[in-house]
Order: sequence, then structure tokens, then C-alpha cells
Amino acid sequence: MLEYFQPSKDLGTPAILSEIMISIDIDGVAISVPEGTSVMRAAALHDINIPKLCATDSLEPFGSCRLCAVQIEGRRGYPASCTTPVVEGMQVTTQTEKLAKLRRNVMELYISDHPLDCLTCPANGDCELQDMAGAVGLREVRYGFSGENHLQVEQDHSNPYFSFDPSKCIVCSRCVRACEEVQGTFALTIDGRGFDSKVVAGQDQDFIDSDCVSCGACVQACPTSTLMEKNVIDQGQPEHSIVTTCAYCGVGCSFEAQMKGDQVIRMVPYKGGEANQGHSCVKGRFAFGYATHGDRIKEPMIRDSIDQPWRVVSWQQAFDFAAAKIHKIQAEYGRESVGGITSSRCTNEETFLVQKLIRTAFGNNNTDTCARVCHSPTGFGLKTTLGESAGTQTFESIRKADSIVVIGANPTDAHPVFGSLMRRRLREGASLVVIDPRNIDLLKTPHLKEAIHLQLRPGTNVALINALAHVIITENLQDDAFIAERCATEAFSDWRAFISEERHSPESSETITGVDPILVRKAAKSYATAANGAIFYGLGVTEHSQGSTMVMGIANLALATGNLGREGVGVNPLRGQNNVQGSCDMGSFPHELPGYQHVGVKAVRDKFEAAWNVKIDHEPGLRIPNMFDAAISGKFKGMYVQGEDIAQSDPNTHHVEKALKSLDCLIVQDIFLNETAKFAHVLLPGSTFLEKDGTFTNAERRINRVRKVMPPLAGLADWEVTLGLAKALGYEMNYSHPSEIMDEIAMLTPTFAGVSYDKLEKLGSIQWPCNEQSPEGTPTMHVVDFPIGKGNFAITEFIATQERSSKRLPLLLTTGRILSQYNVGAQTRRTENMAWHAEDVLEIHPHDAQERGVADGDWLGITSRAGNTVLRAKVSSRMQPGVVYTTFHHPGSGANVITTDNSDWATNCPEYKVTAVQVEKVSQPSIWQKEFQKFDKKQKKFLPTESAIESL
Amino acid sequence: MRTAEQQLIHMVNQISENNQHGGFDKAAEITSVHLQKFWARSMKKDIVAYLASDGTELSEISKAAVKQL
Repeated sequence: MLEYFQPSKDLGTPAILSEIMISIDIDGVAISVPEGTSVMRAAALHDINIPKLCATDSLEPFGSCRLCAVQIEGRRGYPASCTTPVVEGMQVTTQTEKLAKLRRNVMELYISDHPLDCLTCPANGDCELQDMAGAVGLREVRYGFSGENHLQVEQDHSNPYFSFDPSKCIVCSRCVRACEEVQGTFALTIDGRGFDSKVVAGQDQDFIDSDCVSCGACVQACPTSTLMEKNVIDQGQPEHSIVTTCAYCGVGCSFEAQMKGDQVIRMVPYKGGEANQGHSCVKGRFAFGYATHGDRIKEPMIRDSIDQPWRVVSWQQAFDFAAAKIHKIQAEYGRESVGGITSSRCTNEETFLVQKLIRTAFGNNNTDTCARVCHSPTGFGLKTTLGESAGTQTFESIRKADSIVVIGANPTDAHPVFGSLMRRRLREGASLVVIDPRNIDLLKTPHLKEAIHLQLRPGTNVALINALAHVIITENLQDDAFIAERCATEAFSDWRAFISEERHSPESSETITGVDPILVRKAAKSYATAANGAIFYGLGVTEHSQGSTMVMGIANLALATGNLGREGVGVNPLRGQNNVQGSCDMGSFPHELPGYQHVGVKAVRDKFEAAWNVKIDHEPGLRIPNMFDAAISGKFKGMYVQGEDIAQSDPNTHHVEKALKSLDCLIVQDIFLNETAKFAHVLLPGSTFLEKDGTFTNAERRINRVRKVMPPLAGLADWEVTLGLAKALGYEMNYSHPSEIMDEIAMLTPTFAGVSYDKLEKLGSIQWPCNEQSPEGTPTMHVVDFPIGKGNFAITEFIATQERSSKRLPLLLTTGRILSQYNVGAQTRRTENMAWHAEDVLEIHPHDAQERGVADGDWLGITSRAGNTVLRAKVSSRMQPGVVYTTFHHPGSGANVITTDNSDWATNCPEYKVTAVQVEKVSQPSIWQKEFQKFDKKQKKFLPTESAIESL
Repeated sequence: MRTAEQQLIHMVNQISENNQHGGFDKAAEITSVHLQKFWARSMKKDIVAYLASDGTELSEISKAAVKQL
């Protein structure tokens, strides 16, 4: 979808959904629109353009600028067309001499206190004030410019991405309203009255010090250059744009990459994007500078050992070198001694190719993906209970939810655009239940009406979900009709008997969970008695020793209350990375071919064998942690890792590093020398989402197009690199464009059968399943039945983790992420987002801090049974006493040096959320950190210098 | 930290512990099916070998499950 400056038209006020149509006449044109539509929008829909400044169709009408005045027959005065809804038979006139004069007068007042620097203004060519001055025919300003004005007001350049120039402000309040209505942060306000009115951030602070989360909604809404991207100020206006999909987080926002040649000037959230509907967060909107960062790897490199400098070679030499090493390993150690890891940051097509390479060229099923360490329990749990490994709804569905339950997720930080949508629904009156050891920001949503926080002890999720289910069943709050019609009778009967046992009551569970039973009962009733109850969950559910059990417990709750199969309800995993859903769909797991088709099923293998012309192993392959164990045992010797930093992201760093050092050939394909690449023998340059075509699938199963906006910096897109490697290994794959890969995916994957690039162009995006039954996709799953027929209640016995606090390790560590950084930070650490989070810190409750004499900023040694590391302290009451928290965005922090080898019983998803630790004040880095710094320095020195590359 | 063998033992015991509802035989069957569906050939071989050589650290359900492989 290439758009040469034809951005979607701004219709002035939001669309109104109504089946009642109203007929009116505007300037002699007969118009019919849904009841409640504004006169402005009705006119704009028919290309009758009424001048406007304070109105924009992403915000509710405000009626302050008075520029959109119209005449309406039978009404007095000149009503604002933005705030006037249509009425049957209304006769509207938008252009008269009187209206023209009125609008000119209004504009004259605005311009009398506005700098006349249009030619040098950064908004020149993209300024609504300028456009409207032209539209109303302003030719003079009779008041002059010498009176009191705001032209010398100090500018605020504190935000790294945008500037605030109050001299350009017309106080239309669009920024304030965007911050409230779209983002839900309420960081901006209008201070003062009349002539003194001004936009201020926070308590009249600099933007950087205020509550502003830099989502960019205010910049997007500003009709002048008051709030303006620094990139535009520096580089000028873009000249073309291409719609693509963000590569941060599982929301999958659509953006217009606004370009000047091959250079991205700015990323502007695309109004037509169905996942984000024109909204963005600080990462997607602004943090794209990593794509052209000086650290990018632009040349293929090889070396024989990790103690040697890298040698820059041609692509072909790199492929041949890698293939020879893999062949040698397989000749010596057997076919199963090598494997690979697909990336949840790469496209569906690239992920499909990597697992295909492993199953064909490597000849085994040793393929896995980083979903192993995040949402693999979602796959297992939802497939067992509902029959499909995916969330059930659209994001938009939350607009109809009456009770919202958020479990182990922090959407305002980790899925910010969806977090804003959630906050909007909460402001509209939906109730909120949060199940989390931490006091997350969602609980502080302005105008939130009702919230219940079940602040449980880490590791007790299953006991709590059982207690909620116990209340629903024993208080007869279940949906009997839904259960009778949609669920397996025997499974329900067994589950009801199990869950009704007194040991699951909130009162009995309190000793395990630490949660007040009154609150548990209240929460259960809130969810079960709501017309529509929707559950959203994150890694606080999956990254436990009972992650899969907890997912099944959540599904049980939805089945029992009939909260499935329609809008406003459902079970919704919030996926961490941009293409976690897609990487799972594409057959990355060692036991499943694309579309979750098990390798043990002969009919499935027959289909793939015929298409790929190879024999496929009928046994599952190794998962990531199993690969590590096998490597240390000397049985696993070669690995191909695309776009994944297992050395930083996977738990128990000592173990991971030992495994990586045991490999004879580690092939890393990445955009940077990441932590894993420091252990590699072959380094293949990766390409960012801006440099390639493909698709991502977001958390709502929505397949979105990724479009190339600039050529790959190293010459090849990731999918082309995999083709080159496969060919060198002796298995040729022939595709000239990722669309052909998607055609093959559609041919082999029943849930993708109807997907094609042509259809994606036509529809914008598609939510799978997309096939003969649902040719345009499936927004809501399980409407009529489940893929397994009847919903399956699973028995969810609580079994405490072996990772428990003790006298020696009295605190429980839990890990997570924050808004400004993304995953291992490889991308965001190379942007100005460092302004908000330059280092990982350990959050500790004031009580625990006081007991240890710890103050903010102290260096703390954190010791677990796996290892120890040192972080700076941040005393915070977000945690409950006995629980500490950190993030893992910086490699030198060593957060995963302390996480353990415990994992989910069904999937081996690591138990990141529970690690028993002790904390004490220290004065120097840990031994691991000192070694890390030395190793890091040494490996960076091994990179060729620019001059060495140029001489080759 | 656990060795590769200890890790396999831990994993199979964890699977059987999480599936013990429904009685011994059913739990052993579910555990065995789980191993069949999700474990790599080499892991199954190693756990079978461990049961044959020692097996003392496996729970009774785990032993029954591994015997069914």
C-alpha cells in the first residue's frame, strides 16, 4: 500500500455506529448518515469541507475554535458543525458571505498572536493553521502584532523526539484531548484562562519530567508546529510514505513510514491499521533509529573459534563456510546434532523458511523459537481446553467488555497501544480485576470506576484461579446453558467435583496466595455476573512451573461462565514480541509443522514431504533448553539462530554460556553483534522490518503486511539469507518474493488456506483462520463450536514450585519489562529511549530496604541458587514486602544470571517469575559482570574496523 | 544446578505430578503420551536408559510412564 501523500481524509469527528439513518441536506446535497453523526462529518463524507481547527476525527468534538460555524435553517446563530448532530430534515448551508466573514475574523484573531514565519516553520506544507488561513481567505490582520502576545514564550526541547514551541500554539486543546481520550494518560492540561490559557505538561513541568509517556498522540493531533518531531525540524517534510507494521510488541500497530528517499523521517500511526486505529507508543512512533545505527552488522563474517577476530567474507563464502561446518558436524555426531532457532521478531515467511531449512537441509526437527521462553504454555493450555493455540478475540472487542480481568500482564508498559484502549473502556465504566504481585499502572487509570487488585504471592496463580472458579461453581454463577451446549459433559462433571472441594475455597487458599478471600469472592462475582467478561493475560501467567496449568485454569473460567464466542469476552494472551503468534503458527516448535500439525501424524507428514521432496522425521526435535543440555553433554554441536539473543534472554546465563561455548558451529543472523553473536563462528547480517517484505501476525491473530521502505543495509533480506544458506547445505528453495512463500504456507496450513498477499492488499489485514469457511478471516473464535468439538474443562491441581524462599534466600525475584525498552533492548538501547531507562534496577519494597539498610541508588548484590549479580536499588512500594523486581533490557545487568533452570512442566517455558534470592549492599560488580565486561570488550575488538572493511 | 540427566528426571516427575488426578494408571498413560508427543527421540532414549540402569529418582508414576515408551 504505497501512498504518495494521500493520507486518509480527516472527517473532523469520529464515526458513530447506528443502524438508524438520518437524511439531511447540506448545500443542496441530499445526505444520509447514521444517527448521532456530526454535521461536519456528514459534510466531509460527501466532500463538502467545512474549515476546522480544533476538530479531528480521532477525538470527540470540542467546539472551541468556532471556525466550523454553519447556518442551519430554523436555528439561531451559527452553530459549530463539529458539535451539532444531524437531525432528520436538517437544511445546512456551509458557505455564505456572512460565514466567510465570521471565519476570517476568527482566523485573524488566531494569526494576530502567531509568528509569521511560515517559510521557515518546520510545519510548512503540513500545517492546518496555514491551510485554514488559505481556506478562509485571510489577507490582513487588522490588529497588528505589537500588542501583548506569546511569541517569546520559552520552548521545551526536553523530550528527545519532539519539541514544544508554545509560540505556535492556538490552544485548540487537541493535544490535551488526545492525551486524555486516545492515550489515557492525562499528562497535559490547559492552565490559566482567557489570554493566559496555555498547554502545560504535568504540573507545569518540562515534558521529560512530566507524566508524558511520549506516545506521540499530542504531536499527531497538533494542527500547527507547536508539537513537532525533531526529525522533521532537522530534515524537513517527508515526500512519500509506505504503510507497514511495527516490529515492537504483539499489538502489531500499522504505521506510515514517511520517507525522504530511502530515509525514514518519521513513523506516523496509520489510521487504517485495525490493531492500533491511528495510535502509537514511544517505541513504534519514535524509536526506529536503531535501523541505521552505526552498530549495524553490514558484512558477513566468519571465524574458526570465538577467540579469533572476525574475517569479513562474501555472502557465498559465509554460506559455504557455515554449510561445510554443519556437514562436518553431522558426519561426525549424527543428523540430530544440529538445530536452529527461529525468531519472533522476523516475518512469518522468514520463520517458515528457517524451520523448513531445519526439517529439510538439517534433516531433523530440532527447531524451536523464543516463544519457548514466553508463550509456549499458551499454545499447550489453549489447545488442550479450546482446541486452538491462539487468543479468541480482536483488540476492538474490549469495547464491549463489562468486566476486564488482567492477569500477570502490564499492558500500559508492555502493550501500550492496547493498554490505552483498555483504559478507554475502563473510563467508560467497565470493572477491573488485576491479578498481579505488583501494583501495576493500570490500577491508577484516571476515572477508573471499580478495581479489585488480587495481589498474590509469586508462584500461586493456579491456587488463585482455582479459588475464583470455586466461587463461581459453589455460588451457582456458572452459565449452565453454555456448558450444556458447548462443553464436554464428562470433563465438566469431573472438573466441577474437583473445583467444588473446600480446599479450593478462597478461605482455604488464602494461606497459599496471601489474598483476602473477600476480595477473591468479589472478583469472581464481578467477572461471572458481568454481561461480558474478558480475560487478558501475559507472561506473569506463562512463565511459571505451572504456566500451562494456569492457562487451562483461565480457559476453565471462561468456559464455566460462557465468556467465549462473541464480542466483549474471551481469553486473550497478550503476546510479547511482534511475531510470537506468527512464529508459533509457522511451525517453529519441534513437535509441530506449520499450523500446529503434529509431526507424528503420517497424513500431515505426507503432505509436507510431497511439497518439500524430503523425508520428515516423525519424532519431535529438541526444545531450546534441551539443546543447551545436549550441547553441554557433547551431543549437540551446531546451531543456526535467526534474530534471537538467547545468551541474554534465556534463563540461567552460566548454563547458556556454557552450552554456546560447547558448540563447534554457531551461526547467528542478526542486525547487531548481540550477546549470542559473541559466541558465534558465522555472523550473517540481518535486516530490520524496514528493509524487507513479509507479514507479522499479532496477538489477535491478525496477519499484517510488512513492506520494504529501504533496501537491506547488507544487501540481502533475512529470507534471502536463509535461501542462500539452504542452497549451500544442498537443499535449494526457489522463491523470488515473500508472497510466494506465503502461497506455500497457505497450501500447507489449513488455517492460512485463504491467505495471500493479494487478499491482504484488498482487506488490509486478515485474522486467521482464513479458509473456505471464513474467506475473509475470523475476528472472533469459537462462535459456533471449538476445533475439538466441545470445550474441555481441565483439572488444574495446584502444585507449588520447588523455587521457594528460605532463610538463606528469603525474597522472591520476579522479572518483567518497562515501556521505553523492548525485550533484550538490542533495538531500544540504540535509540534515544535510553533517556528513560539507562540501566536495569532492582525494585525493592521500603520494608525490605529498611531491614537491609538500603537506600535508593545503592548497589545491591542479588544472589540466587543459580548465580549472583549487582544492580542499583530503587525503593518502591509497587512491590509487596518479600518480593523484588527487575527488568532484563541491559546485558550487563545479568538479570538472567540469577534466574534458574526451573520451567513449566508441559512446555519447558522458564520460570522467570519466581526466583528465591537474597539481597545485600555491595561495593563492586559481581564476578560474572566483571567477566562479562572483559568478554564484551574482547569480542567488540574482534569486529573489523570500518577501514578494514573498506579495504576488502 | 542439574545435570542433563537430572533435568530429564526432574521434567518427567514434574509431568507425572501435574497429571496425577484420575489415578495411577491414567496418570502414567497421560505422562507417557506427553513424552511421546513432546520429547525428542534422544531424550526418550536417555530416560529409558536411566530407568533401566537405576531409576531410583523417578516417581512411581514416572517409572510406569517411561516403561510405556
